[in-house]
This record gives sequence, structure tokens and C-alpha cells, in this order.
Amino acid sequence: MHTDHHGGSGTLPAAGSETATVSKASGPGRLLVAVYGVFALSASARAGYQIATKFSEAPLAYLLSALAAAVYIVATVALAKSGPRAYWISVAAVSVELAGVLAVGLLSLLDPAALPHDTVWSGFGKGYGYVPLILPLLGLWWLWRYRRRIRPA
Amino acid sequence: MIVDGFFITGAVITLVSTLVCVVAALIRQPPNDITILSVAAVELFLLVYGVAAVFRQLGGEAIAGETWEFWGYWLTALLVPVAAFWWAILERSRWSNLVLGAAGLTVFVMLYRMEQIWDGALPV
Repeated sequence: MHTDHHGGSGTLPAAGSETATVSKASGPGRLLVAVYGVFALSASARAGYQIATKFSEAPLAYLLSALAAAVYIVATVALAKSGPRAYWISVAAVSVELAGVLAVGLLSLLDPAALPHDTVWSGFGKGYGYVPLILPLLGLWWLWRYRRRIRPA
Repeated sequence: MIVDGFFITGAVITLVSTLVCVVAALIRQPPNDITILSVAAVELFLLVYGVAAVFRQLGGEAIAGETWEFWGYWLTALLVPVAAFWWAILERSRWSNLVLGAAGLTVFVMLYRMEQIWDGALPV
């Protein structure tokens, strides 16, 4: 994998650069962080609203909403920050996100009664144009591409 | 949702801004005056929309949905172009134009929701 796929950006540090994970939020990573930011914002607003106004109706579903919001916030910040620690935190956050959207998506498919109230991840995120399903895949792909950068050269 | 002048105007401004930014990214341009001004136009529209909403309410036109939800969306939407601008100009690559384009699209979705709330849609 070479950075010249991003031809035109011209701002990516060279592959051997010591603060290599800076580039995690560079080029396409910039858009990834922005989209994660939008999801952090909307998931937080939705979870905050659900918990503030109707928590007792479906505590499990709304706690899931809150968990999703927390995962998006952690992923946004970790993807934006540099350093090996932020790299592994973002790997963990994006993996939890993928596991969450798959688990909740499957559950809402197999047993709709278990989660009567929508969460961000219900139906594999169909309420959000399936972006919640695609986003972690893109995130993991992006992090995979940068895996070498975090090891000492 | 009733499609009114506010929605049409906002939809045109936000979607044109997104289109301009995406095209600029495709032809490998870093953020320039045109893409940044298109995002500024989105912010300006939101300000006008908010002021108009105040006058519409003062004039007796009530928000059919939750008033605080409408204004919550509006305040959050105001932050979106500003945050996108800040994040995009920190690195002037063509990808930053897609960040600017995402702002228009996000504000469009939020405007859609605000219009639904104005006309009395139930909260999600």
C-alpha cells in the first residue's frame, strides 16, 4: 500500500516519518474523522433525547443508543489524534462499533420484539442510510492501511 | 412535511454547496474561495432561517412539534459549517473539500428534520 493513491493531496508525511500516525487524520482520513464527528453528534443528541424524555419505555434500547454515542465520540477523537495509543484506541472503538452494528442489526432482524425502539444500529443502521454499517468497515480498512506506520521503522 | 420556500431555498443552497465541493475534490482542488464561500452561504442561510423562525413565531405561527427540539437542531446545525471549515483548512488537500461538502449534506438532513418538526412530526 502506497500513499500515492492520494495523489494531489501532497500533505501526507512520508511512510518512514516518525510521527507517522499524524497521517491517520490526513487525506481520506480527514473525511473519515468528519463523518465520525457527524455521527458522534447525532448519536449523542438522539441518545440524550431518548434518555431524558422516555428512558423507562425501553431502558435497554436507550442504553444501547448511549453506548453507540460513546463509541462514536471515542472513535472520532482517537482517529483525529496521532500516536500509537490513539491508533489502538481507534482500532478498538471501530471494532466495537462494527460488532455493535452487526449484533444489534441481527437482533432486530431475528427478534424484532427484543428491541422495539429504534437505535442508531437497528436494522444495520437503515435509519441512517446504512452509513453505520459502512463506516466501521471503511474505518478498519483505513486503519489497516496505516498499520505499518505505528511500528518503529 | 410541507415543502415551503424555506425548505426549497435551503435544499438548493446546501445541495449546490455539496455538489461544488465534491466536484472541486474530484478535480483535485484544495479548498478555495468558491468551496469555502459555498459553505459560508450554508451558514448564512441557517442564520436567516433562524431569524425568520423567530419572526414567524412572533407573528403567531407556532412550531407544531417540540419547540426546544427545533432550536436544538438549529443550534447544532449552526456549528456544522463552522466545524467543517475549521477541520478542512487545517489541511488544505482535496479531501478537505469533501469535508466541506459533508457539511452541506449534513445541514440538508438537519433542515429536513427541522421542517418536519416545524410541521409537527413526532420526535424519534
